[in-house]
Amino acid sequence: MKAHRAALLGLGLATLISGPALADGFNKCTTVPKASWKPQADAEALAKAAGYEVRRSKIEGTCYEVYGVKDGKLFELFYNPADLKLMHTKAK
Amino acid sequence: MPDPTPNDGAPATARFVVVWDWPLRLSHWLLAASVLIAWFTANVFDTVHEISGYTALGVLAFRLVWALVGNRYARFWNWVRPSVATLRYLGQLARGRPGRYLGLNPAGAAMAVVLLVLIGVSTISGWMQITVTFFGVAWVEHIHTWSSNLVLALVVVHVLGVLLMCWLQRENLIGGMITGRKRATDKDQSA
Repeated sequence: MKAHRAALLGLGLATLISGPALADGFNKCTTVPKASWKPQADAEALAKAAGYEVRRSKIEGTCYEVYGVKDGKLFELFYNPADLKLMHTKAK
Repeated sequence: MPDPTPNDGAPATARFVVVWDWPLRLSHWLLAASVLIAWFTANVFDTVHEISGYTALGVLAFRLVWALVGNRYARFWNWVRPSVATLRYLGQLARGRPGRYLGLNPAGAAMAVVLLVLIGVSTISGWMQITVTFFGVAWVEHIHTWSSNLVLALVVVHVLGVLLMCWLQRENLIGGMITGRKRATDKDQSA
């Protein structure tokens, strides 16, 4: 009974950890080394030009992640730092 | 899991009494589950992460209400003690003579309060992150990250502390939080 419960819990946790890792955590944009990345401010400028109110940006994995607000909705924009291509848009 | 012992006729030194009522037990395990699920789904499954966070916040709100209407072991002011008493208790514990409490001991009470407050900080800051006002605001994100890390670290200490007391006092405290019953002895200190 107790071992059964422990096994079930272990299985559940193992599934959560090993499952589709980073299903929502987009963080792979490029294999180009950091030294030849374009400036992070350029990614922010692109988001601004696309009509987003830019709150902040940061490096997430090998992506520039820009926090943008548009029409009261929240978005995370992932840009490839090598060519500033928009790789992924996540609505929050 | 201990067998229930009828109160009548049983020796006063070995009777079982209900310490944790069922809403308190349910809120304890629901909070534990939602904190664990939230931890393991952070940055992985946003929807599950958010639902478990709201669940934890709901449990916290309920727990505050239950501190007003629950039994004596649910009421914070019955077991929250000055930090001096908590430190003295930890000193006694270090010497291996902590003394027995039917409800929470002073160290357990301090842990409960700190955990509840930190889970409050973690859930509210997490919620703030997906509001238009605080979206992308760095300090909100940092508070959420660090309060959540601290919650998990303290959960580990909490579990270790419970296991230590199980061993020191030869008592199944985990079973106690499942059935609500604990062994009452004449030597128990109140609250």
